[in-house]
Amino acid sequence: MIDRDHWVQLLSARPAEGVSRPQRICELCVEMLGVTGGGISVVTAAGNRGVVCATDDVAAQIEDLQFTLGVGPCMDAVSSGAPVMVNDLDALEDVAGARWTGFLKTASEIGVRAVFALPLRIGAISIGAIDLYRDTPGELSNTQLPAALLAADAAALALLAAADDPLDQLGEGLGEWPARGHQIHQATGMVQVQLGVSTEAALLSLRARAFSAGRPLGELANDVVQRRVRLTLEDEG
Amino acid sequence: MRDSHELATSSRTTTLADTFVLLADTLVDDYDVVDLLDHLVMACVDLFGVSAVGLLLEDQRGRLTVMAASSEETRLLELFQLQTNEGPCLDAVRTGEVVTSDDLESDSTRWPRFGPAAVEIGYRSVTAVPLRLRGQRIGALNMFGTGHSSVTGNDRRLAQALADVATIGILQRRSIHQSNLVAEQLQHALDSRVVIEQAKGVLAERHSVGMDEAFTALRRHSRNNNLKLTDVALAVVRGELAPDLAHPRPDDA
Repeated sequence: MIDRDHWVQLLSARPAEGVSRPQRICELCVEMLGVTGGGISVVTAAGNRGVVCATDDVAAQIEDLQFTLGVGPCMDAVSSGAPVMVNDLDALEDVAGARWTGFLKTASEIGVRAVFALPLRIGAISIGAIDLYRDTPGELSNTQLPAALLAADAAALALLAAADDPLDQLGEGLGEWPARGHQIHQATGMVQVQLGVSTEAALLSLRARAFSAGRPLGELANDVVQRRVRLTLEDEG
Repeated sequence: MRDSHELATSSRTTTLADTFVLLADTLVDDYDVVDLLDHLVMACVDLFGVSAVGLLLEDQRGRLTVMAASSEETRLLELFQLQTNEGPCLDAVRTGEVVTSDDLESDSTRWPRFGPAAVEIGYRSVTAVPLRLRGQRIGALNMFGTGHSSVTGNDRRLAQALADVATIGILQRRSIHQSNLVAEQLQHALDSRVVIEQAKGVLAERHSVGMDEAFTALRRHSRNNNLKLTDVALAVVRGELAPDLAHPRPDDA
Protein backbone atom coordinates (compact mmCIF):
# COMPACT_ATOMS: atom_id res chain seq x y z
CA MET A 1 0.00 0.00 0.00
CA ILE A 2 1.34 3.38 -0.99
CA ASP A 3 0.08 6.24 1.15
CA ARG A 4 -1.20 8.96 -1.12
CA ASP A 5 0.02 11.94 0.87
CA HIS A 6 3.44 10.40 1.38
CA TRP A 7 3.66 9.67 -2.34
CA VAL A 8 2.74 13.27 -3.20
CA GLN A 9 5.45 14.47 -0.82
CA LEU A 10 8.02 12.22 -2.45
CA LEU A 11 7.04 13.32 -5.94
CA SER A 12 7.05 16.98 -4.95
CA ALA A 13 10.32 17.02 -3.04
CA ARG A 14 13.12 18.96 -4.69
CA PRO A 15 15.50 16.50 -6.34
CA ALA A 16 19.18 16.36 -5.49
CA GLU A 17 21.55 18.71 -7.30
CA GLY A 18 22.05 17.65 -10.89
CA VAL A 19 18.95 15.43 -11.04
CA SER A 20 16.04 16.74 -13.09
CA ARG A 21 12.55 16.49 -11.74
CA PRO A 22 11.30 14.13 -14.49
CA GLN A 23 14.32 11.91 -13.88
CA ARG A 24 13.60 11.84 -10.16
CA ILE A 25 9.93 10.96 -10.79
CA CYS A 26 10.99 7.98 -12.91
CA GLU A 27 13.45 6.87 -10.22
CA LEU A 28 10.72 7.07 -7.58
CA CYS A 29 8.50 4.84 -9.71
CA VAL A 30 11.31 2.28 -9.80
CA GLU A 31 11.80 2.54 -6.04
CA MET A 32 8.15 2.43 -5.06
CA LEU A 33 6.02 0.87 -7.80
CA GLY A 34 7.78 -2.40 -8.47
CA VAL A 35 8.86 -1.51 -11.99
CA THR A 36 12.32 -2.19 -13.42
CA GLY A 37 12.79 1.14 -15.14
CA GLY A 38 11.06 4.09 -16.69
CA GLY A 39 11.42 6.91 -19.18
CA ILE A 40 9.63 10.04 -20.30
CA SER A 41 9.20 11.44 -23.77
CA VAL A 42 7.57 14.64 -24.94
CA VAL A 43 5.48 14.81 -28.06
CA THR A 44 4.35 18.30 -28.99
CA ALA A 45 1.26 19.27 -30.95
CA ALA A 46 3.54 20.16 -33.85
CA GLY A 47 4.81 16.58 -33.83
CA ASN A 48 8.19 17.34 -32.32
CA ARG A 49 9.32 14.60 -30.03
CA GLY A 50 12.18 13.95 -27.75
CA VAL A 51 13.34 11.73 -24.92
CA VAL A 52 13.43 13.65 -21.66
CA CYS A 53 14.94 11.03 -19.40
CA ALA A 54 15.32 7.31 -18.73
CA THR A 55 16.44 5.40 -15.65
CA ASP A 56 18.50 2.79 -17.52
CA ASP A 57 19.63 1.67 -20.97
CA VAL A 58 16.60 -0.52 -21.55
CA ALA A 59 14.22 2.32 -20.64
CA ALA A 60 16.17 4.62 -22.98
CA GLN A 61 15.88 2.07 -25.77
CA ILE A 62 12.13 1.77 -25.24
CA GLU A 63 11.82 5.52 -25.79
CA ASP A 64 14.19 5.60 -28.78
CA LEU A 65 12.57 2.60 -30.36
CA GLN A 66 9.14 4.14 -30.44
CA PHE A 67 10.43 7.30 -32.05
CA THR A 68 12.37 5.32 -34.61
CA LEU A 69 9.43 3.09 -35.45
CA GLY A 70 6.72 5.67 -34.86
CA VAL A 71 4.55 3.10 -33.10
CA GLY A 72 4.25 1.51 -29.68
CA PRO A 73 2.41 1.80 -26.39
CA CYS A 74 3.78 5.29 -25.70
CA MET A 75 2.60 6.57 -29.09
CA ASP A 76 -0.82 5.03 -28.52
CA ALA A 77 -1.03 6.55 -25.06
CA VAL A 78 -0.26 10.00 -26.48
CA SER A 79 -2.68 9.73 -29.39
CA SER A 80 -5.57 8.19 -27.43
CA GLY A 81 -4.98 10.06 -24.18
CA ALA A 82 -5.55 6.83 -22.26
CA PRO A 83 -3.12 4.57 -20.42
CA VAL A 84 -1.83 1.61 -22.43
CA MET A 85 -0.98 -1.36 -20.27
CA VAL A 86 0.85 -4.38 -21.63
CA ASN A 87 1.11 -6.85 -18.76
CA ASP A 88 2.81 -9.55 -20.75
CA LEU A 89 4.55 -8.82 -24.02
CA ASP A 90 4.62 -12.47 -25.01
CA ALA A 91 0.88 -12.91 -24.51
CA LEU A 92 -0.17 -9.99 -26.64
CA GLU A 93 -2.35 -11.22 -29.44
CA ASP A 94 -4.71 -8.41 -30.18
CA VAL A 95 -4.92 -5.70 -32.77
CA ALA A 96 -2.50 -3.44 -30.97
CA GLY A 97 0.04 -6.26 -30.86
CA ALA A 98 -0.16 -6.66 -34.60
CA ARG A 99 0.46 -2.96 -35.12
CA TRP A 100 3.46 -3.00 -32.81
CA THR A 101 5.22 -6.04 -34.25
CA GLY A 102 8.57 -4.31 -34.67
CA PHE A 103 8.43 -2.68 -31.28
CA LEU A 104 7.45 -5.89 -29.50
CA LYS A 105 10.17 -7.92 -31.14
CA THR A 106 12.96 -5.54 -30.16
CA ALA A 107 11.54 -4.82 -26.71
CA SER A 108 11.37 -8.53 -26.06
CA GLU A 109 14.98 -8.99 -27.20
CA ILE A 110 16.25 -6.38 -24.75
CA GLY A 111 14.42 -8.04 -21.85
CA VAL A 112 11.18 -6.08 -21.53
CA ARG A 113 8.29 -8.28 -20.38
CA ALA A 114 5.67 -5.71 -19.40
CA VAL A 115 5.27 -2.04 -20.30
CA PHE A 116 2.89 0.59 -19.00
CA ALA A 117 2.52 3.82 -20.94
CA LEU A 118 0.68 6.69 -19.24
CA PRO A 119 -0.15 9.87 -21.13
CA LEU A 120 1.04 13.16 -19.65
CA ARG A 121 -2.07 15.19 -20.10
CA ILE A 122 -4.01 17.95 -18.38
CA GLY A 123 -7.29 18.21 -20.28
CA ALA A 124 -6.50 19.70 -23.69
CA ILE A 125 -2.82 19.99 -22.78
CA SER A 126 -0.98 16.97 -24.12
CA ILE A 127 2.70 16.78 -23.27
CA GLY A 128 3.94 13.25 -23.89
CA ALA A 129 4.04 10.00 -21.98
CA ILE A 130 5.80 8.19 -19.18
CA ASP A 131 6.72 4.58 -19.92
CA LEU A 132 7.36 2.15 -17.09
CA TYR A 133 8.66 -1.33 -17.81
CA ARG A 134 9.22 -4.62 -16.02
CA ASP A 135 11.62 -7.46 -16.79
CA THR A 136 8.97 -9.92 -15.61
CA PRO A 137 5.31 -10.10 -16.70
CA GLY A 138 2.62 -8.78 -14.37
CA GLU A 139 0.17 -5.95 -14.08
CA LEU A 140 0.39 -2.89 -11.91
CA SER A 141 -1.56 -3.58 -8.72
CA ASN A 142 -4.63 -1.67 -7.58
CA THR A 143 -2.40 0.58 -5.49
CA GLN A 144 0.49 0.82 -7.94
CA LEU A 145 -1.64 2.06 -10.82
CA PRO A 146 -3.17 5.07 -9.00
CA ALA A 147 0.31 5.93 -7.75
CA ALA A 148 1.66 5.70 -11.31
CA LEU A 149 -1.12 8.00 -12.53
CA LEU A 150 -0.20 10.49 -9.84
CA ALA A 151 3.43 10.25 -10.97
CA ALA A 152 2.22 11.03 -14.50
CA ASP A 153 0.46 14.16 -13.15
CA ALA A 154 3.65 15.17 -11.40
CA ALA A 155 5.68 14.63 -14.57
CA ALA A 156 3.20 16.63 -16.63
CA LEU A 157 3.39 19.56 -14.21
CA ALA A 158 7.17 19.30 -14.02
CA LEU A 159 7.55 19.34 -17.80
CA LEU A 160 5.17 22.28 -18.16
CA ALA A 161 7.37 24.29 -15.87
CA ALA A 162 10.62 23.05 -17.34
CA ALA A 163 10.62 25.66 -20.11
CA ASP A 164 11.85 28.31 -17.67
CA ASP A 165 11.40 26.98 -14.20
CA PRO A 166 12.06 29.47 -11.45
CA LEU A 167 8.91 28.23 -9.77
CA ASP A 168 9.36 24.84 -8.31
CA GLN A 169 6.05 24.82 -6.53
CA LEU A 170 5.09 21.47 -7.91
CA GLY A 171 3.91 20.07 -4.61
CA GLU A 172 1.37 22.76 -4.12
CA GLY A 173 -0.09 22.30 -7.57
CA LEU A 174 -0.23 18.56 -7.23
CA GLY A 175 -1.78 18.58 -3.77
CA GLU A 176 -4.46 21.03 -4.76
CA TRP A 177 -5.30 19.38 -8.02
CA PRO A 178 -8.36 17.46 -6.84
CA ALA A 179 -9.75 19.92 -4.31
CA ARG A 180 -9.75 23.02 -6.50
CA GLY A 181 -9.26 21.10 -9.70
CA HIS A 182 -12.28 22.31 -11.60
CA GLN A 183 -11.50 25.93 -10.85
CA ILE A 184 -7.86 25.57 -11.81
CA HIS A 185 -8.96 24.19 -15.17
CA GLN A 186 -11.65 26.84 -15.65
CA ALA A 187 -9.16 29.57 -14.78
CA THR A 188 -6.68 28.08 -17.26
CA GLY A 189 -9.31 28.44 -20.00
CA MET A 190 -10.03 32.04 -18.99
CA VAL A 191 -6.37 33.04 -18.83
CA GLN A 192 -5.80 31.46 -22.23
CA VAL A 193 -8.26 34.01 -23.65
CA GLN A 194 -7.05 36.89 -21.45
CA LEU A 195 -3.47 36.50 -22.63
CA GLY A 196 -4.19 35.11 -26.08
CA VAL A 197 -1.82 32.21 -25.46
CA SER A 198 -1.89 28.42 -25.59
CA THR A 199 -3.52 26.35 -22.86
CA GLU A 200 -0.07 25.25 -21.69
CA ALA A 201 1.16 28.81 -21.44
CA ALA A 202 -2.01 29.82 -19.62
CA LEU A 203 -1.52 27.20 -16.91
CA LEU A 204 2.14 28.16 -16.67
CA SER A 205 1.22 31.84 -16.28
CA LEU A 206 -1.28 31.00 -13.54
CA ARG A 207 1.35 29.05 -11.67
CA ALA A 208 3.90 31.82 -12.13
CA ARG A 209 1.45 34.42 -10.88
CA ALA A 210 0.50 32.30 -7.86
CA PHE A 211 4.15 31.79 -7.08
CA SER A 212 5.13 35.45 -7.38
CA ALA A 213 2.14 36.46 -5.24
CA GLY A 214 2.99 33.75 -2.71
CA ARG A 215 -0.51 32.29 -2.93
CA PRO A 216 -1.85 28.77 -3.44
CA LEU A 217 -2.71 28.05 -7.07
CA GLY A 218 -6.28 27.04 -6.19
CA GLU A 219 -6.92 30.30 -4.37
CA LEU A 220 -5.72 32.37 -7.32
CA ALA A 221 -7.80 30.21 -9.67
CA ASN A 222 -10.86 30.96 -7.55
CA ASP A 223 -10.15 34.70 -7.86
CA VAL A 224 -9.80 34.40 -11.63
CA VAL A 225 -13.06 32.45 -11.95
CA GLN A 226 -14.85 34.98 -9.70
CA ARG A 227 -13.35 37.73 -11.93
CA ARG A 228 -11.53 39.38 -9.08
CA VAL A 229 -8.22 38.88 -10.86
CA ARG A 230 -7.31 39.23 -14.53
CA LEU A 231 -3.96 38.30 -15.94
CA THR A 232 -2.33 40.67 -18.41
CA LEU A 233 0.82 40.32 -20.44
CA GLU A 234 2.52 43.05 -18.36
CA ASP A 235 2.27 40.75 -15.34
CA GLU A 236 4.37 38.24 -17.14
CA GLY A 237 7.22 40.71 -17.66
CA MET B 1 -56.96 16.48 -8.49
CA ARG B 2 -57.11 12.94 -9.76
CA ASP B 3 -56.64 14.07 -13.36
CA SER B 4 -53.65 16.17 -12.58
CA HIS B 5 -52.12 13.34 -10.59
CA GLU B 6 -52.62 10.95 -13.50
CA LEU B 7 -51.16 13.49 -15.86
CA ALA B 8 -48.13 13.87 -13.64
CA THR B 9 -47.74 10.11 -13.42
CA SER B 10 -48.03 9.70 -17.15
CA SER B 11 -45.58 12.49 -17.86
CA ARG B 12 -43.17 10.96 -15.37
CA THR B 13 -43.50 7.54 -16.97
CA THR B 14 -42.68 9.13 -20.31
CA THR B 15 -39.61 10.86 -18.84
CA LEU B 16 -38.49 7.60 -17.31
CA ALA B 17 -39.00 5.69 -20.56
CA ASP B 18 -37.19 8.43 -22.50
CA THR B 19 -34.31 8.30 -20.05
CA PHE B 20 -33.83 4.56 -20.33
CA VAL B 21 -34.16 4.63 -24.11
CA LEU B 22 -31.59 7.41 -24.27
CA LEU B 23 -29.20 5.58 -21.96
CA ALA B 24 -29.62 2.33 -23.87
CA ASP B 25 -29.11 4.09 -27.21
CA THR B 26 -26.03 5.76 -25.86
CA LEU B 27 -24.54 2.56 -24.52
CA VAL B 28 -24.81 0.60 -27.77
CA ASP B 29 -23.27 3.43 -29.77
CA ASP B 30 -19.86 5.04 -29.52
CA TYR B 31 -20.57 7.49 -26.77
CA ASP B 32 -19.09 10.23 -24.66
CA VAL B 33 -19.00 9.49 -20.93
CA VAL B 34 -19.54 13.06 -19.82
CA ASP B 35 -22.47 13.39 -22.20
CA LEU B 36 -24.06 10.25 -20.81
CA LEU B 37 -23.70 11.44 -17.24
CA ASP B 38 -24.98 14.88 -18.13
CA HIS B 39 -28.15 13.31 -19.55
CA LEU B 40 -28.48 11.23 -16.43
CA VAL B 41 -28.23 14.05 -13.89
CA MET B 42 -30.72 16.17 -15.84
CA ALA B 43 -33.16 13.23 -15.95
CA CYS B 44 -32.84 12.78 -12.18
CA VAL B 45 -33.97 16.38 -11.61
CA ASP B 46 -37.17 15.63 -13.55
CA LEU B 47 -37.76 12.16 -12.18
CA PHE B 48 -37.23 12.71 -8.49
CA GLY B 49 -38.37 16.29 -8.05
CA VAL B 50 -35.04 17.32 -6.55
CA SER B 51 -33.41 20.71 -7.00
CA ALA B 52 -29.85 19.77 -7.81
CA VAL B 53 -28.09 16.59 -8.86
CA GLY B 54 -24.42 15.79 -9.15
CA LEU B 55 -22.43 12.71 -10.01
CA LEU B 56 -19.08 12.31 -8.31
CA LEU B 57 -16.35 9.78 -9.01
CA GLU B 58 -13.53 8.80 -6.76
CA ASP B 59 -10.48 9.64 -8.82
CA GLN B 60 -7.27 7.69 -9.17
CA ARG B 61 -5.77 9.96 -6.60
CA GLY B 62 -8.32 8.89 -3.98
CA ARG B 63 -10.48 12.02 -3.96
CA LEU B 64 -14.08 12.62 -5.01
CA THR B 65 -14.45 14.78 -8.08
CA VAL B 66 -17.54 16.12 -9.88
CA MET B 67 -18.18 14.51 -13.26
CA ALA B 68 -21.61 15.94 -14.05
CA ALA B 69 -23.96 18.38 -12.37
CA SER B 70 -27.46 19.64 -13.09
CA SER B 71 -26.11 23.17 -12.70
CA GLU B 72 -22.57 24.38 -13.17
CA GLU B 73 -23.08 27.05 -10.56
CA THR B 74 -19.86 27.45 -8.60
CA ARG B 75 -21.41 27.25 -5.15
CA LEU B 76 -23.12 23.98 -6.01
CA LEU B 77 -19.93 22.50 -7.47
CA GLU B 78 -18.06 23.55 -4.35
CA LEU B 79 -20.69 21.88 -2.19
CA PHE B 80 -20.23 18.65 -4.11
CA GLN B 81 -16.48 18.98 -3.93
CA LEU B 82 -16.55 19.68 -0.19
CA GLN B 83 -17.47 16.03 0.24
CA THR B 84 -13.93 14.95 -0.43
CA ASN B 85 -13.59 15.25 3.34
CA GLU B 86 -17.08 14.56 4.70
CA GLY B 87 -20.69 14.31 3.60
CA PRO B 88 -23.35 11.94 2.30
CA CYS B 89 -21.50 11.23 -0.96
CA LEU B 90 -18.35 10.17 0.83
CA ASP B 91 -20.45 8.05 3.23
CA ALA B 92 -22.26 6.39 0.30
CA VAL B 93 -18.92 5.58 -1.37
CA ARG B 94 -17.43 4.25 1.86
CA THR B 95 -20.44 2.10 2.88
CA GLY B 96 -21.90 1.18 -0.49
CA GLU B 97 -25.34 2.08 0.91
CA VAL B 98 -27.80 4.85 0.08
CA VAL B 99 -27.25 7.74 2.53
CA THR B 100 -30.01 10.28 3.20
CA SER B 101 -30.91 13.20 5.39
CA ASP B 102 -34.39 14.76 5.55
CA ASP B 103 -33.20 17.62 7.67
CA LEU B 104 -29.71 18.90 6.99
CA GLU B 105 -30.06 21.62 9.62
CA SER B 106 -30.37 19.02 12.38
CA ASP B 107 -27.60 16.93 10.89
CA SER B 108 -24.88 19.43 11.64
CA THR B 109 -23.21 16.99 14.02
CA ARG B 110 -23.16 14.26 11.37
CA TRP B 111 -21.48 16.51 8.79
CA PRO B 112 -20.18 19.59 10.63
CA ARG B 113 -18.85 21.34 7.53
CA PHE B 114 -21.00 19.94 4.76
CA GLY B 115 -24.38 20.29 6.56
CA PRO B 116 -24.23 24.04 7.22
CA ALA B 117 -22.73 24.68 3.76
CA ALA B 118 -25.66 22.89 2.11
CA VAL B 119 -28.23 24.70 4.26
CA GLU B 120 -26.60 28.04 3.50
CA ILE B 121 -27.30 27.74 -0.21
CA GLY B 122 -30.85 26.59 0.39
CA TYR B 123 -30.87 22.78 0.55
CA ARG B 124 -32.74 20.94 3.29
CA SER B 125 -32.54 17.30 2.25
CA VAL B 126 -30.05 15.07 0.50
CA THR B 127 -29.86 11.59 -1.01
CA ALA B 128 -26.60 9.94 -2.01
CA VAL B 129 -26.70 6.72 -4.04
CA PRO B 130 -23.48 4.74 -4.49
CA LEU B 131 -22.11 3.78 -7.92
CA ARG B 132 -21.18 0.14 -7.47
CA LEU B 133 -19.58 -2.53 -9.56
CA ARG B 134 -19.36 -5.86 -7.81
CA GLY B 135 -17.23 -5.22 -4.72
CA GLN B 136 -15.97 -1.87 -5.88
CA ARG B 137 -17.50 1.56 -5.26
CA ILE B 138 -16.46 4.16 -7.79
CA GLY B 139 -18.51 7.21 -6.77
CA ALA B 140 -22.01 8.40 -5.94
CA LEU B 141 -25.07 10.13 -7.34
CA ASN B 142 -25.90 13.09 -5.14
CA MET B 143 -29.38 14.71 -5.05
CA PHE B 144 -30.37 17.81 -3.10
CA GLY B 145 -33.89 19.02 -2.28
CA THR B 146 -35.09 22.34 -0.94
CA GLY B 147 -37.85 20.56 1.04
CA HIS B 148 -37.53 18.23 4.01
CA SER B 149 -37.80 15.01 2.06
CA SER B 150 -35.15 12.78 0.63
CA VAL B 151 -35.75 10.26 -2.15
CA THR B 152 -37.57 7.23 -0.69
CA GLY B 153 -39.32 3.95 -1.55
CA ASN B 154 -39.60 3.01 -5.20
CA ASP B 155 -37.88 6.22 -6.24
CA ARG B 156 -34.85 5.19 -4.28
CA ARG B 157 -34.75 1.84 -6.07
CA LEU B 158 -35.12 3.66 -9.36
CA ALA B 159 -32.30 6.02 -8.45
CA GLN B 160 -30.09 3.03 -7.64
CA ALA B 161 -30.99 1.47 -11.00
CA LEU B 162 -29.99 4.69 -12.79
CA ALA B 163 -26.79 4.83 -10.77
CA ASP B 164 -26.06 1.25 -11.87
CA VAL B 165 -26.60 2.19 -15.51
CA ALA B 166 -24.23 5.11 -15.05
CA THR B 167 -21.63 2.78 -13.55
CA ILE B 168 -21.87 0.48 -16.55
CA GLY B 169 -21.64 3.49 -18.85
CA ILE B 170 -18.49 4.73 -17.18
CA LEU B 171 -16.77 1.36 -17.05
CA GLN B 172 -18.01 -0.13 -20.29
CA ARG B 173 -15.95 1.89 -22.71
CA ARG B 174 -13.72 -0.39 -24.64
CA SER B 175 -10.13 -0.34 -23.62
CA ILE B 176 -7.12 -1.37 -25.65
CA HIS B 177 -6.17 -3.96 -23.09
CA GLN B 178 -8.16 -5.76 -20.49
CA SER B 179 -6.02 -5.20 -17.45
CA ASN B 180 -6.72 -2.58 -14.82
CA LEU B 181 -9.91 -1.96 -16.68
CA VAL B 182 -11.74 -0.06 -13.98
CA ALA B 183 -8.84 2.25 -13.26
CA GLU B 184 -8.30 3.02 -16.94
CA GLN B 185 -11.95 3.72 -17.61
CA LEU B 186 -12.22 5.97 -14.60
CA GLN B 187 -9.12 7.82 -15.70
CA HIS B 188 -10.61 8.39 -19.12
CA ALA B 189 -13.85 9.75 -17.67
CA LEU B 190 -12.03 12.09 -15.31
CA ASP B 191 -9.75 13.40 -18.05
CA SER B 192 -12.79 14.21 -20.19
CA ARG B 193 -14.13 16.39 -17.45
CA VAL B 194 -10.88 18.41 -17.27
CA VAL B 195 -11.19 19.39 -20.94
CA ILE B 196 -14.77 20.52 -20.34
CA GLU B 197 -13.71 22.73 -17.44
CA GLN B 198 -11.00 24.34 -19.61
CA ALA B 199 -13.53 24.91 -22.41
CA LYS B 200 -16.00 26.49 -19.97
CA GLY B 201 -13.26 28.89 -18.92
CA VAL B 202 -12.50 29.83 -22.53
CA LEU B 203 -16.16 30.55 -23.33
CA ALA B 204 -16.86 32.30 -20.02
CA GLU B 205 -13.99 34.70 -20.65
CA ARG B 206 -14.58 35.22 -24.35
CA HIS B 207 -18.29 35.98 -23.98
CA SER B 208 -18.36 37.35 -20.41
CA VAL B 209 -20.83 34.72 -19.25
CA GLY B 210 -21.03 32.44 -16.24
CA MET B 211 -19.75 28.86 -16.15
CA ASP B 212 -23.31 27.56 -16.29
CA GLU B 213 -24.06 29.41 -19.52
CA ALA B 214 -20.73 28.39 -20.98
CA PHE B 215 -21.54 24.75 -20.29
CA THR B 216 -25.02 25.15 -21.78
CA ALA B 217 -23.43 26.46 -24.98
CA LEU B 218 -21.09 23.46 -25.15
CA ARG B 219 -23.94 21.06 -24.55
CA ARG B 220 -26.18 22.80 -27.11
CA HIS B 221 -23.54 22.72 -29.79
CA SER B 222 -22.83 19.08 -29.08
CA ARG B 223 -26.48 18.01 -29.27
CA ASN B 224 -27.49 20.20 -32.21
CA ASN B 225 -24.58 18.93 -34.27
CA ASN B 226 -24.55 15.39 -32.94
CA LEU B 227 -20.99 15.71 -31.72
CA LYS B 228 -19.46 14.32 -28.56
CA LEU B 229 -19.37 16.81 -25.72
CA THR B 230 -15.69 16.13 -25.05
CA ASP B 231 -14.82 16.63 -28.73
CA VAL B 232 -16.66 19.95 -28.78
CA ALA B 233 -14.85 21.02 -25.61
CA LEU B 234 -11.47 20.05 -27.05
CA ALA B 235 -12.13 21.98 -30.27
CA VAL B 236 -13.12 25.06 -28.24
CA VAL B 237 -9.97 24.94 -26.13
CA ARG B 238 -7.85 24.52 -29.25
CA GLY B 239 -9.55 27.50 -30.85
CA GLU B 240 -11.00 25.42 -33.68
CA LEU B 241 -14.62 26.01 -32.74
CA ALA B 242 -16.63 28.96 -31.45
CA PRO B 243 -20.11 27.84 -30.42
CA ASP B 244 -22.84 30.46 -30.60
CA LEU B 245 -23.94 31.84 -27.25
CA ALA B 246 -26.15 34.65 -28.43
CA HIS B 247 -29.25 32.78 -29.53
CA PRO B 248 -30.21 29.99 -27.21
CA ARG B 249 -32.97 27.84 -28.63
CA PRO B 250 -36.20 27.59 -26.69
CA ASP B 251 -35.94 23.79 -26.45
CA ASP B 252 -32.71 24.07 -24.50
CA ALA B 253 -32.66 21.90 -21.43
